[in-house]
Amino acid sequence: MFKYIKLNNVFIAIFGCIVLQGCTSKKDPIIVTSNDFYSTIDMVTQIMVHDIFSPPVASRIYVYPNIAAFEILSQNSTAYKPLAGQLKDLKAIPKADDEAVNLNVSALVAHMELSKELVFSEDKVIQFRDSIYDLWIDQNKVEFKASETYGLKVANHIKEWMNKDNYSQTRTMPKYTIETEDPSRWQPTPPAYMDGIEPHWKKIRNMVLDSASQFKPIPPPKFSMKKDSDFYKELIEVYTVNQDITKRGDDSEEIEIAQFWDCNPYVSVTRGHLMFATKKITPGAHWIGITKIACKKNDFNFEEAVYTYTKTSIGIFEAFISCWDEKYRSNLIRPETLINQFIDEKWMPILQTPPFPEYTSGHSVVSGSASTILTSIFGDNFIFIDDTETAYGLPLRIFTSFNNAADEAAISRLYGGIHYRAAIDEGLKQGRKLGAFVIEKINMKH
Amino acid sequence: MIKYTLHIIILLLLASCTKKPKKLFTILQAKDSGIHFNNTLKDTLGQNILDYLYYYNGGGVAIGDINNDKLPDIYFTSNQQQNKLYLNKGNLKFEDITATANVDSSSDWNTGVAMADVNGDGLLDIYICAVTGTNGLVGQNELFINNGDLTFTEQALAYGLDIDNYSSSASFFDYDLDGDLDMYLLNHAIHTEESFGKANFRNKRNYQSGDKLFRNDNNKFIDVSEIAGIYGSASGYGLGLAISDFNNDGYPDIYVSNDFHEDDYYYLNNGDGTFIESLKMHFGHTSKFSMGNDAADINNDGFTDLITLDMLPEEEKVLKSSVGDGNIQIQNLRTKQYGYQHQYARNMVQINQEASHFTETAFLSSIAATDWSWSALIADYNQDTKQDVFIANGIPKRPNDLDYIKYISNSQVKKKIETTNLIDKKALSYMPDGKLKNIFFQGNEDLKFENTSDTWVKQNATYSNGSAYADLDNDGDLDVVTNNINAPASIYINNTNATKNYIQLKFNYFQKNSFGIGTKVILYQNNNIQYKELFTQRGFQSSSQPLIHFGLDTIQKIDSIKVIWPNKTFQILKEIPVNQTLIVSVNTKEKELSYTFLHSKNDSIFYKIKDNLGIQYTHSENNYIDSNRHKLIPYQISDRGPAVAVGDLNNDGKEDVFFGNGKHTKSEIYLQSESGFIKLEDSIFKNKATKEEGSATIADFDNDNKNDLFIGSGGGEFFGKSAALQNNLFSITSDGIKEFEIPEGYEDTAIVKHFDFDLDGDQDVFIGNATLPNDFGNIPESYILENKKDVFVKRTLGNIGMVRDVSVTDFNSDKKPDLILVGEWMSPIFLQNNNGDFVDVSENYLSKPLNGLWRAIIPFDIDKDGDLDYLLGNWGTNTKFTATQDYPLLMYYSDFDNNGKTETIIAIEKKEKYYPIENLDELSSQLISLTKKKFTTYKSFAGLPINKVFDDAILSKAKVFKVHTLASGILKNENGQFVFEAFQNQLQVAPINCFTKMKIGENETVLCAGNYFGIKPYHGRFDGFSGALILDQNNIKLGSVVGLDFFNKAVSQLRTITINNNRYLIALINNDDVQIYQIK
Repeated sequence: MFKYIKLNNVFIAIFGCIVLQGCTSKKDPIIVTSNDFYSTIDMVTQIMVHDIFSPPVASRIYVYPNIAAFEILSQNSTAYKPLAGQLKDLKAIPKADDEAVNLNVSALVAHMELSKELVFSEDKVIQFRDSIYDLWIDQNKVEFKASETYGLKVANHIKEWMNKDNYSQTRTMPKYTIETEDPSRWQPTPPAYMDGIEPHWKKIRNMVLDSASQFKPIPPPKFSMKKDSDFYKELIEVYTVNQDITKRGDDSEEIEIAQFWDCNPYVSVTRGHLMFATKKITPGAHWIGITKIACKKNDFNFEEAVYTYTKTSIGIFEAFISCWDEKYRSNLIRPETLINQFIDEKWMPILQTPPFPEYTSGHSVVSGSASTILTSIFGDNFIFIDDTETAYGLPLRIFTSFNNAADEAAISRLYGGIHYRAAIDEGLKQGRKLGAFVIEKINMKH
Repeated sequence: MIKYTLHIIILLLLASCTKKPKKLFTILQAKDSGIHFNNTLKDTLGQNILDYLYYYNGGGVAIGDINNDKLPDIYFTSNQQQNKLYLNKGNLKFEDITATANVDSSSDWNTGVAMADVNGDGLLDIYICAVTGTNGLVGQNELFINNGDLTFTEQALAYGLDIDNYSSSASFFDYDLDGDLDMYLLNHAIHTEESFGKANFRNKRNYQSGDKLFRNDNNKFIDVSEIAGIYGSASGYGLGLAISDFNNDGYPDIYVSNDFHEDDYYYLNNGDGTFIESLKMHFGHTSKFSMGNDAADINNDGFTDLITLDMLPEEEKVLKSSVGDGNIQIQNLRTKQYGYQHQYARNMVQINQEASHFTETAFLSSIAATDWSWSALIADYNQDTKQDVFIANGIPKRPNDLDYIKYISNSQVKKKIETTNLIDKKALSYMPDGKLKNIFFQGNEDLKFENTSDTWVKQNATYSNGSAYADLDNDGDLDVVTNNINAPASIYINNTNATKNYIQLKFNYFQKNSFGIGTKVILYQNNNIQYKELFTQRGFQSSSQPLIHFGLDTIQKIDSIKVIWPNKTFQILKEIPVNQTLIVSVNTKEKELSYTFLHSKNDSIFYKIKDNLGIQYTHSENNYIDSNRHKLIPYQISDRGPAVAVGDLNNDGKEDVFFGNGKHTKSEIYLQSESGFIKLEDSIFKNKATKEEGSATIADFDNDNKNDLFIGSGGGEFFGKSAALQNNLFSITSDGIKEFEIPEGYEDTAIVKHFDFDLDGDQDVFIGNATLPNDFGNIPESYILENKKDVFVKRTLGNIGMVRDVSVTDFNSDKKPDLILVGEWMSPIFLQNNNGDFVDVSENYLSKPLNGLWRAIIPFDIDKDGDLDYLLGNWGTNTKFTATQDYPLLMYYSDFDNNGKTETIIAIEKKEKYYPIENLDELSSQLISLTKKKFTTYKSFAGLPINKVFDDAILSKAKVFKVHTLASGILKNENGQFVFEAFQNQLQVAPINCFTKMKIGENETVLCAGNYFGIKPYHGRFDGFSGALILDQNNIKLGSVVGLDFFNKAVSQLRTITINNNRYLIALINNDDVQIYQIK
């Protein structure tokens, strides 16, 4: 019985070979579509959710693979201009010298290789990559092999550049030191009381900005618990807005907005000894999602999509450096800590307070930057349906423009009870200025 | 030849035939005993681990003789099913009489159970606790009054005990000594707070969760909690309850173990119907997720000790995949900002130091980690006169599994919670099972215990909750019963029988407390005592048989037994034959006892001076945490101060004092005047306030017949060529303090000591350096500053080790001063002075290296044989670190991840393999590139030894440091060679930081002190050492006995000073006020 099956298998295998052989002689070039690119990015996003990366680190995981892909595509392009020489310390990539190389394939190879390097769960990238590779090998093995070799070469070139961005040094720098004597200073917040994350992110090498502090916002209102101070008024605003929204219940639009833009990669929940986490995408990932929606709506081809993602992810990356620079400069305490201490011991914000200082709001800076860049590509009044968070049980929302979405993302932090108004207003300004600067500074098209 | 072989074979055969030793315990099978009780749990809507946080807490056991036939009967509570009462028919046969006795509960969810003669009719009644008013659970606590005919009548309402809240346990005892039994009701909270909240939240009362104290007024129980000073708030997560007269004043006190962030409560009975909660005064730290507990005298000193249980696993696989300790900063936030006590997630063994404070010894006693543990029962199971410990443990699902929390729960649980509110079996199945074997610890000498579970009993793993002991078969030894989830109850029958002697006592007390609850018994034998109290509520949710049991080993006749009745009268029984059950009856004519006989005589030698003789000095550390920068550093290096030096600084013949201080706080000099001390104001110290002074010494360095001050600086915070690291030499002149120039040195200086090494008549200085700041593990150079009249010249001693202290003595008797250096991760180094050159001759004096984490050394002839021995202060053995000659503690030092920054990794041995002491998250906080990609789940990391966690290539490039012993002890001079002998365990409970010599009466003695808080949460906190006065090897008095207030203080330096012919002790305490005592 067994023998027969084995024989059959061998036969099929041999037959398969013959069929494949027959095809290779007149192989067509491998087609890489923008959809291949989108699903690669989606895969990376899902791994990031699983592995749990903080928002600043997540922005770094998006940007380098995109740049690698863009540099490959733009090398001989009439439409696009490489970023080498424009981004700090980025040198021109080696040119493809093998005629068999398909640049689109190499771009995706390099993208996946860098993504693999940047996440923890490499096995998941490998699994995804190998399934695409199998298809490509089937389609045109010679072209694939040449493109893979070249793609990996460029990936190494980008890795070398990437590895000098101070990321590994910042991993071992000191933790944030809690000082409870100064009442204005940030303290860890309930329920997990996590350490302040990425206190040294400002030391990550900028790509476009002169320095982390180039778009330093005005300082937040001076800390004061005097009832007539601006700071106290903003604190009370957070409290009253939240009380008011809570009264109106879960169906109020403000709660819907707060939850839609939560974008907290790790919300911990404790019930007795039982603990669990609800994990979602980061603010950067949400804007990467919007980028996909826009690209798809405009039916962008592979090159156009890579260009758009690259520019947007540079804006997001720089926004986090700029924002984190300010966060650990002003070191401002979160509303939850103060409200619990002075106003209402049992108060809980609608969203879980993320583990880093308050000013400025990260989501506001990132949304300001990303929306400005996307507007420059797609124009204002670009209506879109945002379904980025449906996988996480959240509804669709419709926006009339990227700026409209950014405004809402920013104000959602007040509704969520995790930011004062100044962090939102100044954060948006900071992000928009920064986005405009990125647009002006880097020239990605001929 | 053949003959011999034959003999051997016969011997072997004989051995194999006879060698079938019965284990100490045999598990009684349900089919033989008739006890089929099984606490079966069925998840339902509202009743599951998601909806009810104590869903897996299980039921209780109560044992007592309900029909006075001398056979103890057993009651089990079931959470959801029927409770059971089993009548003991003799010969270990039991009959289920639940139905005929009318004792099943009508409540939906039962927890604890107690047997007590509540109405004082000589019959045991049964009180059953219930959880009601949440999750759809209805019912109330029930009181089944014994009718005396094997039936019961529920009368909770009539007695005022029909409580409907979240009860876990009840204990009946007479707190006001009015003769009847009152009751403490332990309740638990059902919601965990998301935020800490201030500790004073416990002042708000809450009916459902708050504990309650009831006073018995003629069989009516009145809730007196509030006026009695009992907390009763919504944060009372009460899981453990122990009643004992902890302070031996005759009035029963109460210890409550609270789960989660809420502190445990230690209620001392004021004797006037009120209590005062005094935890922080008497305990340095407690269990965090406190569960069951037990109180009994473990060390035979007549004071009740305490064991509290928690959930720390020992098994590496479980340990490293479970949620670890919180980080230091958050702990500080919790204690300083929110007002909670120091709490750590592990078992605690609290040794009562004659009511002054408790010294926690769980690591030293090897009882720290027994995984998810519910019930502890302290008793002498093997009857060898030393107390043993039984621990019931196990949990059906481990909700603190890290993979579950971080990677699985997201998809599996989230939706269930949001949609159906009922967690399904599949989602739960991802939580690892926590079935465990219950544990027996055999008590050994000197606070040591040994896990003897495997040699004592053959048993299956279970989820065991409540447990109780009793002599079920009347053979004299104690048997143990546990209530198990989803399995039949376990009955451990003790087979000690006649192999070791025993005595049991039962009491006939006055009618309202017929069983004599609260009676104390002291058994005297050859100057030793054993001490027990009759309180039956023990372990967890359970009550044990009302009897007192002593193991007597081979003792044939007991010298005497003192029975102290609850009303403080007593009687003495003399020359009692062993192996019997004594029934002791109270006699109305007895005399009242003065409890002071139990306390030591007033041995005070040190008397605290209230105004500190005018010295207003406080040492203050800044908020620097070494492990914020070096996340894997094994302990702090920046908190060893302050420096102190005593000497005449202004040439008036009186001794003055210099005090160094921490960063940002300036040093101070106090000059002695006729009426006390006066602070010398000088701007020079203000300018140098940044420095952390580690050590100082006073001598005339410039040969002007006036003393100068040499200060060594260091700490862990400064690095490179920071001016704050430079040592200084000052001279006090009439125009203020002047500074001399001395050679540069940028190490972390731990010890400076002046001596004339070259015998040229001037003072040279030994500089002992401990670390190179910001590069822990790199060994600094130590050196001598040779005094060449007007200039110091550096003479290096090489990069010799992490030096902490030095002893200058002439150990080779050639009239030239030699040095012995001690320090961390090094062996004591004997440096022989060969005409000014120092040669390492350690090999001539020590037979093998003796690496320790040495902190102090002092020469002292402890055995009075005329030669010099040395006392050495080490880390102590009450720690998670482990070290032996065969399996030293290891520290790897290298730039493991090649990022230009070095780090250290500590590995400890468990069962002959080395494991990193830190968990995956901690390792990743410093070495993310080596860990997070390699281990994408906690499971893949957990249980791996160090050489599997890191590749050989990474480990082999590291420098490896070792520690062979953590014990403080004596380098004993035996004909010129030195042999190390560890001190007894009461000196191993914390690091010994310092010694000083002093004469007490005619005796030369050494005072030592210690404690240390610069450690990671996995050690807990070294706070329980009150110092010790060492007269000789067998005569050591603890500080709390001789008047020292060193408990819970990190004493770093001791000095003596003479003022107006009176002698005083100056004790320097890290980050605290100086203490000054007169020595009398």
